Amino acid sequence: MRAVLGLLLLFALLPFLPLGDWRAFVLDVGFFVQVLAALALSWDLVARTGQLSLAHGAFFGLGAYGVGLLAPELGTLPALLLGALLAGLSALLLGAVALRLHGLYFAIASLAFSEVLRTLALKLPFAGGPIGLPVPPALGGAWPLAPYFLGLGVLLLAVALSLWAERGAFGLAQAATRQSEAVARVLGVRVVRVKLLSLFLGSLTAGLAGGVYGMKTLFLNPYDAFSLARAVEALVIPIFGGLYSTLGPLLGGVLLVSLEQALRLWIQEGYLVVYGGILVLAILFLPKGLLGLLGGRRG
Amino acid sequence: MELFLQTLLNGLLMAGVYALVATGLALSLGVVGIVNFAHGEFLMLGAYLSYLLFALWGLDPLLSLGLAFAAAFAVGGLTYYGLIRPVLKAPELNQMLLTFGLSVILQNLALLLFGADTRVVAPPYQAATLTLGPFFLGAVPFGAFLLSAGLLLLLQAFFTRSRLGLAMRAVAQNRLAPGLLGIEAEGVYLLAFGLAAALAGAAGVMLSVMLYASPTVGFLFTLKSFAIVALAGLGNLKGVFPAALVLALAEALVSTYVPGGGGWVEAVFFLVLFLALVGRSRRAL
Repeated sequence: MRAVLGLLLLFALLPFLPLGDWRAFVLDVGFFVQVLAALALSWDLVARTGQLSLAHGAFFGLGAYGVGLLAPELGTLPALLLGALLAGLSALLLGAVALRLHGLYFAIASLAFSEVLRTLALKLPFAGGPIGLPVPPALGGAWPLAPYFLGLGVLLLAVALSLWAERGAFGLAQAATRQSEAVARVLGVRVVRVKLLSLFLGSLTAGLAGGVYGMKTLFLNPYDAFSLARAVEALVIPIFGGLYSTLGPLLGGVLLVSLEQALRLWIQEGYLVVYGGILVLAILFLPKGLLGLLGGRRG
Repeated sequence: MELFLQTLLNGLLMAGVYALVATGLALSLGVVGIVNFAHGEFLMLGAYLSYLLFALWGLDPLLSLGLAFAAAFAVGGLTYYGLIRPVLKAPELNQMLLTFGLSVILQNLALLLFGADTRVVAPPYQAATLTLGPFFLGAVPFGAFLLSAGLLLLLQAFFTRSRLGLAMRAVAQNRLAPGLLGIEAEGVYLLAFGLAAALAGAAGVMLSVMLYASPTVGFLFTLKSFAIVALAGLGNLKGVFPAALVLALAEALVSTYVPGGGGWVEAVFFLVLFLALVGRSRRAL
Protein backbone atom coordinates (compact mmCIF):
# COMPACT_ATOMS: atom_id res chain seq x y z
CA MET A 1 0.00 0.00 0.00
CA ARG A 2 2.76 2.40 1.00
CA ALA A 3 4.68 1.51 -2.16
CA VAL A 4 1.59 2.13 -4.30
CA LEU A 5 1.04 5.58 -2.78
CA GLY A 6 4.73 6.39 -3.11
CA LEU A 7 4.75 5.56 -6.80
CA LEU A 8 1.60 7.62 -7.43
CA LEU A 9 3.11 10.57 -5.57
CA LEU A 10 6.22 10.28 -7.72
CA PHE A 11 4.10 10.45 -10.88
CA ALA A 12 2.23 13.50 -9.56
CA LEU A 13 5.47 15.33 -8.72
CA LEU A 14 7.47 14.30 -11.79
CA PRO A 15 6.64 17.41 -13.90
CA PHE A 16 7.82 19.68 -11.07
CA LEU A 17 11.19 18.01 -10.49
CA PRO A 18 14.33 19.69 -11.85
CA LEU A 19 15.17 17.18 -14.60
CA GLY A 20 17.27 19.43 -16.80
CA ASP A 21 17.87 18.36 -20.40
CA TRP A 22 16.13 15.02 -19.91
CA ARG A 23 12.81 16.54 -18.84
CA ALA A 24 10.94 16.00 -22.12
CA PHE A 25 12.12 12.40 -22.46
CA VAL A 26 11.39 11.53 -18.84
CA LEU A 27 7.92 13.05 -19.01
CA ASP A 28 7.21 11.11 -22.22
CA VAL A 29 8.30 7.86 -20.61
CA GLY A 30 6.30 8.77 -17.50
CA PHE A 31 3.21 9.33 -19.63
CA PHE A 32 3.48 5.95 -21.35
CA VAL A 33 4.15 4.23 -18.02
CA GLN A 34 0.98 5.76 -16.56
CA VAL A 35 -1.23 4.83 -19.49
CA LEU A 36 0.10 1.31 -19.88
CA ALA A 37 0.11 0.64 -16.13
CA ALA A 38 -3.56 1.67 -16.10
CA LEU A 39 -4.17 -0.72 -19.01
CA ALA A 40 -2.31 -3.48 -17.15
CA LEU A 41 -4.37 -2.90 -13.99
CA SER A 42 -7.55 -3.05 -16.02
CA TRP A 43 -6.43 -6.38 -17.52
CA ASP A 44 -5.58 -7.71 -14.08
CA LEU A 45 -9.09 -6.84 -12.89
CA VAL A 46 -10.48 -9.27 -15.48
CA ALA A 47 -7.79 -11.88 -14.80
CA ARG A 48 -8.82 -11.95 -11.13
CA THR A 49 -11.94 -13.83 -12.21
CA GLY A 50 -9.78 -16.39 -14.05
CA GLN A 51 -10.61 -15.03 -17.49
CA LEU A 52 -7.92 -14.39 -20.09
CA SER A 53 -8.73 -11.24 -22.05
CA LEU A 54 -6.79 -10.90 -25.28
CA ALA A 55 -8.98 -7.97 -26.33
CA HIS A 56 -7.53 -5.30 -24.08
CA GLY A 57 -5.63 -3.90 -27.03
CA ALA A 58 -8.97 -3.64 -28.83
CA PHE A 59 -10.68 -1.86 -25.93
CA PHE A 60 -7.70 0.51 -25.81
CA GLY A 61 -8.02 1.11 -29.54
CA LEU A 62 -11.79 1.63 -29.33
CA GLY A 63 -11.28 4.30 -26.68
CA ALA A 64 -8.68 6.00 -28.85
CA TYR A 65 -10.85 5.87 -32.00
CA GLY A 66 -13.82 7.12 -29.96
CA VAL A 67 -11.84 10.21 -28.99
CA GLY A 68 -10.57 10.70 -32.52
CA LEU A 69 -14.10 10.57 -33.96
CA LEU A 70 -16.01 12.42 -31.23
CA ALA A 71 -13.62 15.01 -29.81
CA PRO A 72 -13.95 17.44 -32.75
CA GLU A 73 -17.68 17.77 -32.05
CA LEU A 74 -18.07 17.14 -28.34
CA GLY A 75 -14.83 18.33 -26.78
CA THR A 76 -12.18 16.39 -24.90
CA LEU A 77 -13.82 15.02 -21.78
CA PRO A 78 -17.23 13.91 -23.17
CA ALA A 79 -15.43 12.19 -26.07
CA LEU A 80 -13.12 10.44 -23.62
CA LEU A 81 -16.07 9.14 -21.60
CA LEU A 82 -18.09 8.09 -24.64
CA GLY A 83 -15.10 6.32 -26.18
CA ALA A 84 -14.60 4.39 -22.95
CA LEU A 85 -18.31 3.57 -22.87
CA LEU A 86 -18.06 2.23 -26.41
CA ALA A 87 -15.27 -0.09 -25.27
CA GLY A 88 -17.29 -1.13 -22.22
CA LEU A 89 -20.45 -1.90 -24.20
CA SER A 90 -18.59 -3.94 -26.81
CA ALA A 91 -17.01 -5.89 -23.96
CA LEU A 92 -20.44 -6.54 -22.44
CA LEU A 93 -21.70 -7.87 -25.75
CA LEU A 94 -18.66 -10.13 -26.07
CA GLY A 95 -18.95 -11.26 -22.45
CA ALA A 96 -22.68 -11.92 -22.65
CA VAL A 97 -22.13 -14.69 -25.20
CA ALA A 98 -18.74 -16.01 -24.06
CA LEU A 99 -18.63 -15.70 -20.27
CA ARG A 100 -21.34 -18.29 -19.63
CA LEU A 101 -19.14 -20.88 -21.29
CA HIS A 102 -15.84 -22.51 -20.40
CA GLY A 103 -13.03 -19.99 -19.94
CA LEU A 104 -11.22 -20.83 -23.15
CA TYR A 105 -14.16 -19.62 -25.24
CA PHE A 106 -13.79 -16.13 -23.85
CA ALA A 107 -10.04 -16.11 -24.49
CA ILE A 108 -10.59 -17.18 -28.09
CA ALA A 109 -13.50 -14.81 -28.69
CA SER A 110 -11.55 -11.89 -27.26
CA LEU A 111 -8.57 -12.60 -29.52
CA ALA A 112 -10.84 -12.86 -32.55
CA PHE A 113 -12.57 -9.63 -31.52
CA SER A 114 -9.29 -7.74 -31.37
CA GLU A 115 -8.41 -8.95 -34.86
CA VAL A 116 -11.78 -8.16 -36.43
CA LEU A 117 -11.78 -4.58 -35.16
CA ARG A 118 -8.79 -3.80 -37.35
CA THR A 119 -10.77 -5.02 -40.36
CA LEU A 120 -13.67 -2.80 -39.32
CA ALA A 121 -11.45 0.26 -38.85
CA LEU A 122 -9.98 -0.37 -42.30
CA LYS A 123 -13.33 -0.84 -44.05
CA LEU A 124 -15.80 1.49 -42.31
CA PRO A 125 -16.10 4.71 -44.32
CA PHE A 126 -16.05 7.15 -41.39
CA ALA A 127 -13.06 5.58 -39.60
CA GLY A 128 -10.41 6.93 -41.95
CA GLY A 129 -9.44 3.60 -43.52
CA PRO A 130 -5.79 2.62 -43.82
CA ILE A 131 -4.68 6.27 -43.74
CA GLY A 132 -5.86 6.79 -40.18
CA LEU A 133 -7.48 9.43 -38.10
CA PRO A 134 -6.18 12.69 -36.63
CA VAL A 135 -6.97 13.34 -32.97
CA PRO A 136 -7.41 16.91 -31.71
CA PRO A 137 -5.06 17.78 -28.82
CA ALA A 138 -6.46 17.57 -25.30
CA LEU A 139 -8.43 20.57 -24.02
CA GLY A 140 -7.71 22.61 -27.13
CA GLY A 141 -3.96 22.14 -26.81
CA ALA A 142 -3.51 25.19 -24.56
CA TRP A 143 -1.72 23.24 -21.87
CA PRO A 144 1.15 20.97 -22.94
CA LEU A 145 0.99 18.91 -19.74
CA ALA A 146 -2.72 18.10 -20.21
CA PRO A 147 -2.19 14.56 -21.57
CA TYR A 148 0.22 13.81 -18.75
CA PHE A 149 -2.26 14.73 -16.06
CA LEU A 150 -5.16 13.03 -17.87
CA GLY A 151 -2.96 9.93 -17.89
CA LEU A 152 -2.38 10.38 -14.16
CA GLY A 153 -6.14 10.64 -13.68
CA VAL A 154 -6.74 7.37 -15.52
CA LEU A 155 -4.01 5.68 -13.52
CA LEU A 156 -5.54 6.94 -10.26
CA LEU A 157 -8.91 5.57 -11.34
CA ALA A 158 -7.39 2.19 -12.24
CA VAL A 159 -5.56 2.02 -8.91
CA ALA A 160 -8.70 3.01 -7.00
CA LEU A 161 -10.78 0.34 -8.77
CA SER A 162 -8.13 -2.27 -8.14
CA LEU A 163 -7.81 -1.39 -4.43
CA TRP A 164 -11.60 -1.35 -4.05
CA ALA A 165 -11.88 -4.79 -5.62
CA GLU A 166 -8.92 -6.11 -3.65
CA ARG A 167 -10.25 -5.11 -0.26
CA GLY A 168 -13.99 -5.67 -0.46
CA ALA A 169 -16.44 -8.51 -0.83
CA PHE A 170 -16.18 -8.15 -4.60
CA GLY A 171 -12.54 -9.21 -4.49
CA LEU A 172 -13.45 -12.31 -2.54
CA ALA A 173 -16.14 -13.14 -5.10
CA GLN A 174 -13.57 -12.67 -7.86
CA ALA A 175 -11.06 -14.97 -6.15
CA ALA A 176 -13.72 -17.61 -5.54
CA THR A 177 -14.77 -17.46 -9.19
CA ARG A 178 -11.16 -17.85 -10.28
CA GLN A 179 -10.36 -20.77 -7.99
CA SER A 180 -13.45 -22.83 -8.72
CA GLU A 181 -16.61 -21.66 -10.41
CA ALA A 182 -18.64 -24.59 -9.16
CA VAL A 183 -17.66 -24.00 -5.53
CA ALA A 184 -18.21 -20.24 -5.88
CA ARG A 185 -21.69 -20.91 -7.21
CA VAL A 186 -22.52 -23.15 -4.27
CA LEU A 187 -21.31 -20.41 -1.91
CA GLY A 188 -23.83 -18.03 -3.45
CA VAL A 189 -21.52 -16.05 -5.73
CA ARG A 190 -23.28 -15.00 -8.93
CA VAL A 191 -20.40 -16.12 -11.09
CA VAL A 192 -21.47 -14.77 -14.48
CA ARG A 193 -22.40 -11.42 -12.97
CA VAL A 194 -19.03 -11.09 -11.23
CA LYS A 195 -17.21 -11.92 -14.46
CA LEU A 196 -19.32 -9.50 -16.48
CA LEU A 197 -18.90 -6.62 -14.04
CA SER A 198 -15.12 -7.18 -13.85
CA LEU A 199 -14.94 -7.20 -17.64
CA PHE A 200 -17.08 -4.07 -17.93
CA LEU A 201 -14.97 -2.10 -15.44
CA GLY A 202 -11.75 -3.44 -16.97
CA SER A 203 -12.72 -2.53 -20.52
CA LEU A 204 -13.98 0.90 -19.47
CA THR A 205 -10.62 1.73 -17.88
CA ALA A 206 -8.77 0.32 -20.89
CA GLY A 207 -10.90 2.54 -23.16
CA LEU A 208 -10.08 5.63 -21.08
CA ALA A 209 -6.37 4.79 -21.23
CA GLY A 210 -6.64 4.43 -25.00
CA GLY A 211 -8.41 7.77 -25.35
CA VAL A 212 -5.68 9.58 -23.43
CA TYR A 213 -3.05 7.77 -25.50
CA GLY A 214 -4.74 9.07 -28.66
CA MET A 215 -4.56 12.64 -27.38
CA LYS A 216 -0.84 12.26 -26.89
CA THR A 217 0.03 10.67 -30.24
CA LEU A 218 -2.45 12.97 -32.08
CA PHE A 219 -2.79 10.42 -34.86
CA LEU A 220 -4.24 6.92 -35.04
CA ASN A 221 -4.05 4.23 -37.65
CA PRO A 222 -5.71 0.81 -37.56
CA TYR A 223 -2.42 -1.09 -37.51
CA ASP A 224 -1.18 0.78 -34.46
CA ALA A 225 -4.40 1.32 -32.51
CA PHE A 226 -5.61 -2.27 -32.90
CA SER A 227 -2.24 -3.99 -32.91
CA LEU A 228 -1.78 -7.14 -30.90
CA ALA A 229 1.21 -5.47 -29.25
CA ARG A 230 -1.05 -3.53 -26.90
CA ALA A 231 -2.84 -6.68 -25.76
CA VAL A 232 0.53 -8.32 -25.17
CA GLU A 233 1.75 -5.39 -23.07
CA ALA A 234 -1.52 -5.37 -21.12
CA LEU A 235 -0.96 -8.91 -19.92
CA VAL A 236 2.83 -9.22 -19.72
CA ILE A 237 3.11 -6.22 -17.35
CA PRO A 238 0.91 -7.71 -14.58
CA ILE A 239 2.38 -11.19 -15.01
CA PHE A 240 5.91 -9.86 -14.74
CA GLY A 241 5.05 -7.61 -11.82
CA GLY A 242 2.74 -9.96 -9.94
CA LEU A 243 -0.79 -11.08 -10.78
CA TYR A 244 -3.93 -10.25 -8.80
CA SER A 245 -2.42 -7.27 -7.00
CA THR A 246 -2.25 -3.50 -7.34
CA LEU A 247 1.45 -3.05 -6.77
CA GLY A 248 2.44 -5.77 -9.25
CA PRO A 249 1.11 -4.14 -12.43
CA LEU A 250 2.40 -0.74 -11.27
CA LEU A 251 5.88 -2.06 -10.65
CA GLY A 252 5.85 -4.11 -13.85
CA GLY A 253 4.67 -1.05 -15.77
CA VAL A 254 7.47 1.16 -14.50
CA LEU A 255 10.16 -1.40 -15.35
CA LEU A 256 8.88 -2.83 -18.62
CA VAL A 257 7.62 0.36 -20.23
CA SER A 258 10.84 2.22 -19.41
CA LEU A 259 12.77 -0.71 -20.87
CA GLU A 260 10.57 -0.67 -23.96
CA GLN A 261 11.01 3.07 -24.52
CA ALA A 262 14.76 2.61 -24.25
CA LEU A 263 14.77 -0.45 -26.54
CA ARG A 264 12.70 1.39 -29.13
CA LEU A 265 15.65 3.70 -29.66
CA TRP A 266 17.51 0.71 -31.15
CA ILE A 267 14.95 -1.81 -32.33
CA GLN A 268 12.03 -0.75 -34.48
CA GLU A 269 10.30 -4.00 -35.37
CA GLY A 270 10.09 -7.22 -33.46
CA TYR A 271 10.78 -5.83 -29.99
CA LEU A 272 7.74 -7.89 -28.94
CA VAL A 273 10.09 -10.89 -28.84
CA VAL A 274 11.25 -9.49 -25.51
CA TYR A 275 7.70 -9.38 -24.18
CA GLY A 276 6.96 -12.90 -25.44
CA GLY A 277 10.14 -14.18 -23.84
CA ILE A 278 9.36 -12.51 -20.51
CA LEU A 279 5.85 -13.98 -20.65
CA VAL A 280 7.00 -17.55 -21.22
CA LEU A 281 9.81 -17.35 -18.65
CA ALA A 282 7.55 -15.78 -16.03
CA ILE A 283 4.88 -18.46 -16.48
CA LEU A 284 7.45 -21.25 -16.22
CA PHE A 285 9.72 -19.97 -13.48
CA LEU A 286 8.11 -16.99 -11.77
CA PRO A 287 4.35 -17.54 -11.64
CA LYS A 288 3.93 -14.94 -8.91
CA GLY A 289 6.01 -12.32 -10.67
CA LEU A 290 8.37 -9.83 -9.09
CA LEU A 291 6.20 -9.59 -6.00
CA GLY A 292 6.66 -13.32 -5.43
CA LEU A 293 10.40 -12.80 -5.79
CA LEU A 294 10.35 -9.95 -3.26
CA GLY A 295 8.49 -12.14 -0.80
CA GLY A 296 5.12 -10.43 -1.18
CA ARG A 297 2.43 -11.87 1.02
CA ARG A 298 -0.34 -11.98 -1.61
CA GLY A 299 -0.87 -15.33 -3.23
CA MET B 1 -25.88 -19.62 -61.56
CA GLU B 2 -22.51 -20.57 -62.95
CA LEU B 3 -20.86 -17.92 -60.83
CA PHE B 4 -22.67 -19.28 -57.80
CA LEU B 5 -21.53 -22.85 -58.44
CA GLN B 6 -17.98 -21.69 -59.16
CA THR B 7 -18.01 -19.84 -55.83
CA LEU B 8 -19.19 -22.96 -54.01
CA LEU B 9 -16.46 -24.96 -55.74
CA ASN B 10 -13.77 -22.50 -54.62
CA GLY B 11 -15.10 -22.68 -51.08
CA LEU B 12 -15.09 -26.46 -51.11
CA LEU B 13 -11.46 -26.58 -52.24
CA MET B 14 -10.41 -24.21 -49.44
CA ALA B 15 -12.29 -26.26 -46.84
CA GLY B 16 -9.77 -29.11 -47.16
CA VAL B 17 -6.81 -27.06 -45.90
CA TYR B 18 -8.95 -25.40 -43.23
CA ALA B 19 -10.03 -28.82 -41.97
CA LEU B 20 -6.42 -30.00 -41.92
CA VAL B 21 -5.25 -27.09 -39.76
CA ALA B 22 -8.29 -27.16 -37.50
CA THR B 23 -7.97 -30.92 -36.96
CA GLY B 24 -4.52 -30.35 -35.52
CA LEU B 25 -5.89 -27.70 -33.19
CA ALA B 26 -8.76 -29.96 -32.12
CA LEU B 27 -6.26 -32.73 -31.49
CA SER B 28 -4.13 -30.73 -29.06
CA LEU B 29 -7.27 -29.43 -27.39
CA GLY B 30 -9.10 -32.74 -27.22
CA VAL B 31 -6.25 -35.08 -26.33
CA VAL B 32 -3.72 -32.93 -24.45
CA GLY B 33 -6.29 -30.44 -23.17
CA ILE B 34 -4.20 -27.44 -24.17
CA VAL B 35 -5.52 -24.35 -25.95
CA ASN B 36 -2.65 -23.84 -28.33
CA PHE B 37 -2.51 -20.23 -29.49
CA ALA B 38 0.78 -21.07 -31.22
CA HIS B 39 -0.82 -23.69 -33.49
CA GLY B 40 -0.71 -21.41 -36.52
CA GLU B 41 2.97 -20.75 -35.91
CA PHE B 42 3.73 -24.40 -36.76
CA LEU B 43 1.96 -23.66 -40.03
CA MET B 44 4.13 -20.60 -40.52
CA LEU B 45 7.25 -22.71 -39.92
CA GLY B 46 6.11 -25.14 -42.61
CA ALA B 47 5.45 -22.29 -45.03
CA TYR B 48 8.89 -20.72 -44.47
CA LEU B 49 10.60 -24.11 -44.71
CA SER B 50 8.93 -24.67 -48.06
CA TYR B 51 9.98 -21.18 -49.16
CA LEU B 52 13.60 -21.66 -48.08
CA LEU B 53 13.93 -25.09 -49.69
CA PHE B 54 12.46 -23.72 -52.91
CA ALA B 55 14.52 -20.52 -52.93
CA LEU B 56 17.84 -22.20 -52.06
CA TRP B 57 17.68 -25.52 -53.88
CA GLY B 58 14.58 -25.25 -56.03
CA LEU B 59 12.99 -28.12 -54.15
CA ASP B 60 9.44 -28.82 -55.30
CA PRO B 61 6.85 -28.09 -52.57
CA LEU B 62 5.47 -31.60 -53.05
CA LEU B 63 8.81 -32.92 -51.78
CA SER B 64 8.95 -30.33 -49.00
CA LEU B 65 5.64 -31.63 -47.75
CA GLY B 66 7.10 -34.71 -46.11
CA LEU B 67 10.07 -32.77 -44.74
CA ALA B 68 7.83 -30.11 -43.24
CA PHE B 69 5.61 -32.78 -41.73
CA ALA B 70 8.61 -34.37 -40.01
CA ALA B 71 10.18 -31.06 -38.99
CA ALA B 72 6.94 -29.71 -37.52
CA PHE B 73 6.44 -33.01 -35.71
CA ALA B 74 9.86 -32.60 -34.12
CA VAL B 75 9.24 -28.96 -33.21
CA GLY B 76 5.85 -29.86 -31.77
CA GLY B 77 7.38 -32.66 -29.71
CA LEU B 78 10.10 -30.37 -28.37
CA THR B 79 7.50 -27.72 -27.56
CA TYR B 80 5.51 -30.30 -25.64
CA TYR B 81 8.57 -31.45 -23.72
CA GLY B 82 10.01 -28.05 -22.92
CA LEU B 83 6.96 -25.87 -22.46
CA ILE B 84 3.65 -27.71 -22.31
CA ARG B 85 4.52 -30.57 -19.97
CA PRO B 86 5.59 -28.29 -17.07
CA VAL B 87 2.21 -26.51 -17.10
CA LEU B 88 -0.09 -29.50 -17.67
CA LYS B 89 -1.36 -29.24 -14.11
CA ALA B 90 -1.19 -25.43 -13.86
CA PRO B 91 -4.33 -23.24 -14.00
CA GLU B 92 -5.82 -22.90 -17.45
CA LEU B 93 -5.03 -19.18 -17.52
CA ASN B 94 -1.31 -19.97 -17.23
CA GLN B 95 -1.51 -22.59 -19.98
CA MET B 96 -3.17 -20.20 -22.38
CA LEU B 97 -0.72 -17.43 -21.51
CA LEU B 98 2.19 -19.76 -22.19
CA THR B 99 1.07 -20.77 -25.67
CA PHE B 100 0.14 -17.18 -26.43
CA GLY B 101 3.64 -16.11 -25.39
CA LEU B 102 5.14 -18.77 -27.65
CA SER B 103 3.04 -17.47 -30.52
CA VAL B 104 4.25 -13.91 -29.91
CA ILE B 105 7.89 -15.06 -29.81
CA LEU B 106 7.71 -17.11 -33.01
CA GLN B 107 5.82 -14.45 -34.96
CA ASN B 108 8.26 -11.73 -34.03
CA LEU B 109 11.32 -13.90 -34.58
CA ALA B 110 10.04 -14.52 -38.10
CA LEU B 111 9.54 -10.78 -38.46
CA LEU B 112 13.14 -10.13 -37.38
CA LEU B 113 14.55 -12.88 -39.62
CA PHE B 114 12.49 -12.49 -42.78
CA GLY B 115 10.88 -9.06 -42.51
CA ALA B 116 7.18 -8.39 -43.00
CA ASP B 117 7.17 -9.16 -46.75
CA THR B 118 5.05 -12.00 -48.04
CA ARG B 119 6.96 -14.76 -49.86
CA VAL B 120 5.37 -16.98 -52.44
CA VAL B 121 6.64 -20.33 -53.66
CA ALA B 122 6.07 -20.43 -57.40
CA PRO B 123 6.64 -23.88 -58.93
CA PRO B 124 5.96 -24.14 -62.70
CA TYR B 125 2.46 -25.54 -62.16
CA GLN B 126 1.42 -22.73 -59.83
CA ALA B 127 -0.93 -21.00 -62.27
CA ALA B 128 -2.16 -24.13 -64.06
CA THR B 129 -5.93 -24.62 -64.21
CA LEU B 130 -8.11 -27.57 -65.05
CA THR B 131 -11.45 -27.07 -66.74
CA LEU B 132 -14.44 -29.08 -65.67
CA GLY B 133 -17.30 -28.24 -68.03
CA PRO B 134 -17.96 -24.54 -67.51
CA PHE B 135 -15.94 -24.42 -64.28
CA PHE B 136 -12.30 -23.74 -63.53
CA LEU B 137 -10.23 -25.56 -60.98
CA GLY B 138 -6.89 -24.15 -59.94
CA ALA B 139 -4.43 -27.05 -60.07
CA VAL B 140 -2.82 -26.01 -56.79
CA PRO B 141 -6.01 -25.60 -54.71
CA PHE B 142 -7.31 -28.85 -56.20
CA GLY B 143 -4.09 -30.67 -55.36
CA ALA B 144 -4.07 -29.19 -51.86
CA PHE B 145 -7.64 -30.33 -51.36
CA LEU B 146 -6.79 -33.87 -52.44
CA LEU B 147 -3.70 -33.98 -50.24
CA SER B 148 -5.59 -32.63 -47.23
CA ALA B 149 -8.43 -35.07 -47.74
CA GLY B 150 -5.92 -37.92 -48.09
CA LEU B 151 -4.12 -36.93 -44.88
CA LEU B 152 -7.39 -36.65 -42.99
CA LEU B 153 -8.53 -40.07 -44.22
CA LEU B 154 -5.21 -41.55 -43.12
CA LEU B 155 -5.70 -39.95 -39.73
CA GLN B 156 -9.20 -41.37 -39.55
CA ALA B 157 -7.83 -44.85 -40.26
CA PHE B 158 -5.13 -44.31 -37.63
CA PHE B 159 -7.73 -43.46 -35.01
CA THR B 160 -10.03 -46.38 -35.77
CA ARG B 161 -7.61 -49.14 -36.79
CA SER B 162 -4.34 -48.79 -34.89
CA ARG B 163 -3.79 -49.52 -31.20
CA LEU B 164 -1.98 -46.21 -30.77
CA GLY B 165 -4.89 -44.33 -32.31
CA LEU B 166 -7.33 -46.08 -30.01
CA ALA B 167 -5.10 -45.24 -27.04
CA MET B 168 -5.18 -41.60 -28.10
CA ARG B 169 -8.96 -41.59 -28.21
CA ALA B 170 -9.08 -43.29 -24.82
CA VAL B 171 -6.87 -40.60 -23.28
CA ALA B 172 -9.04 -37.93 -24.89
CA GLN B 173 -12.12 -39.38 -23.19
CA ASN B 174 -10.70 -39.89 -19.73
CA ARG B 175 -7.46 -38.83 -18.09
CA LEU B 176 -7.19 -41.56 -15.48
CA ALA B 177 -8.72 -44.78 -16.71
CA PRO B 178 -6.30 -45.37 -19.62
CA GLY B 179 -3.44 -45.35 -17.10
CA LEU B 180 -5.08 -48.25 -15.29
CA LEU B 181 -5.28 -50.10 -18.59
CA GLY B 182 -1.55 -49.70 -19.14
CA ILE B 183 -1.60 -46.78 -21.56
CA GLU B 184 1.20 -44.28 -21.00
CA ALA B 185 -0.62 -40.96 -21.17
CA GLU B 186 2.72 -39.13 -21.34
CA GLY B 187 3.69 -40.74 -24.64
CA VAL B 188 0.23 -40.26 -26.05
CA TYR B 189 0.31 -36.54 -25.25
CA LEU B 190 3.69 -36.20 -26.92
CA LEU B 191 2.49 -38.01 -30.02
CA ALA B 192 -0.77 -36.05 -30.20
CA PHE B 193 0.96 -32.69 -29.85
CA GLY B 194 3.60 -33.63 -32.42
CA LEU B 195 0.93 -34.88 -34.81
CA ALA B 196 -1.09 -31.69 -34.38
CA ALA B 197 1.97 -29.60 -35.23
CA ALA B 198 2.83 -31.87 -38.17
CA LEU B 199 -0.63 -31.41 -39.72
CA ALA B 200 -0.21 -27.64 -39.44
CA GLY B 201 3.30 -27.87 -40.92
CA ALA B 202 2.04 -29.81 -43.94
CA ALA B 203 -0.76 -27.29 -44.42
CA GLY B 204 1.87 -24.55 -44.28
CA VAL B 205 3.67 -26.00 -47.29
CA MET B 206 0.43 -26.02 -49.29
CA LEU B 207 -0.32 -22.47 -48.24
CA SER B 208 3.13 -21.25 -49.24
CA VAL B 209 2.04 -21.98 -52.82
CA MET B 210 -1.68 -21.17 -52.57
CA LEU B 211 -1.26 -18.05 -50.48
CA TYR B 212 2.14 -16.97 -49.16
CA ALA B 213 4.53 -17.27 -46.24
CA SER B 214 4.59 -14.30 -43.88
CA PRO B 215 5.15 -13.79 -40.13
CA THR B 216 1.41 -13.47 -39.49
CA VAL B 217 0.05 -16.06 -41.92
CA GLY B 218 -0.19 -18.64 -39.17
CA PHE B 219 -1.91 -16.35 -36.73
CA LEU B 220 -4.82 -15.86 -39.11
CA PHE B 221 -5.19 -19.61 -39.40
CA THR B 222 -5.12 -20.03 -35.63
CA LEU B 223 -8.14 -17.74 -35.42
CA LYS B 224 -9.97 -19.41 -38.28
CA SER B 225 -9.26 -22.82 -36.77
CA PHE B 226 -10.63 -21.67 -33.44
CA ALA B 227 -13.81 -20.56 -35.18
CA ILE B 228 -14.06 -23.98 -36.85
CA VAL B 229 -13.37 -25.88 -33.62
CA ALA B 230 -15.90 -23.78 -31.70
CA LEU B 231 -18.51 -24.52 -34.35
CA ALA B 232 -17.68 -28.23 -34.39
CA GLY B 233 -17.59 -28.55 -30.61
CA LEU B 234 -14.40 -28.87 -28.58
CA GLY B 235 -12.51 -32.07 -29.22
CA ASN B 236 -15.03 -33.24 -31.79
CA LEU B 237 -12.85 -34.38 -34.68
CA LYS B 238 -15.71 -35.61 -36.87
CA GLY B 239 -17.39 -32.21 -36.80
CA VAL B 240 -14.28 -30.41 -38.02
CA PHE B 241 -14.73 -30.97 -41.75
CA PRO B 242 -18.39 -29.83 -41.89
CA ALA B 243 -17.51 -26.79 -39.79
CA ALA B 244 -14.52 -26.01 -42.04
CA LEU B 245 -16.86 -26.27 -45.01
CA VAL B 246 -19.25 -23.76 -43.44
CA LEU B 247 -16.45 -21.25 -42.88
CA ALA B 248 -14.87 -21.73 -46.30
CA LEU B 249 -18.20 -21.46 -48.15
CA ALA B 250 -19.19 -18.36 -46.18
CA GLU B 251 -15.86 -16.75 -47.04
CA ALA B 252 -16.17 -17.65 -50.71
CA LEU B 253 -19.71 -16.24 -50.87
CA VAL B 254 -18.68 -13.01 -49.15
CA SER B 255 -15.72 -12.49 -51.44
CA THR B 256 -17.88 -13.01 -54.56
CA TYR B 257 -21.10 -11.23 -53.64
CA VAL B 258 -20.32 -8.49 -51.11
CA PRO B 259 -19.12 -5.28 -52.78
CA GLY B 260 -15.52 -4.63 -51.80
CA GLY B 261 -15.63 -8.17 -50.37
CA GLY B 262 -11.87 -8.66 -50.43
CA GLY B 263 -11.39 -6.88 -47.12
CA TRP B 264 -14.52 -8.19 -45.43
CA VAL B 265 -13.45 -11.82 -45.93
CA GLU B 266 -11.13 -11.41 -42.96
CA ALA B 267 -14.15 -10.68 -40.74
CA VAL B 268 -16.17 -13.76 -41.69
CA PHE B 269 -14.43 -16.07 -39.22
CA PHE B 270 -15.46 -13.76 -36.40
CA LEU B 271 -19.10 -13.92 -37.45
CA VAL B 272 -18.95 -17.72 -37.54
CA LEU B 273 -17.27 -17.83 -34.14
CA PHE B 274 -19.69 -15.35 -32.63
CA LEU B 275 -22.75 -17.23 -33.90
CA ALA B 276 -21.31 -20.53 -32.68
CA LEU B 277 -20.82 -19.00 -29.22
CA VAL B 278 -24.33 -17.53 -29.20
CA GLY B 279 -25.70 -20.98 -30.01
CA ARG B 280 -23.60 -22.59 -27.32
CA SER B 281 -24.39 -20.08 -24.58
CA ARG B 282 -28.15 -20.37 -25.30
CA ARG B 283 -27.85 -24.09 -24.72
CA ALA B 284 -25.83 -23.47 -21.55
CA LEU B 285 -28.59 -21.43 -19.94
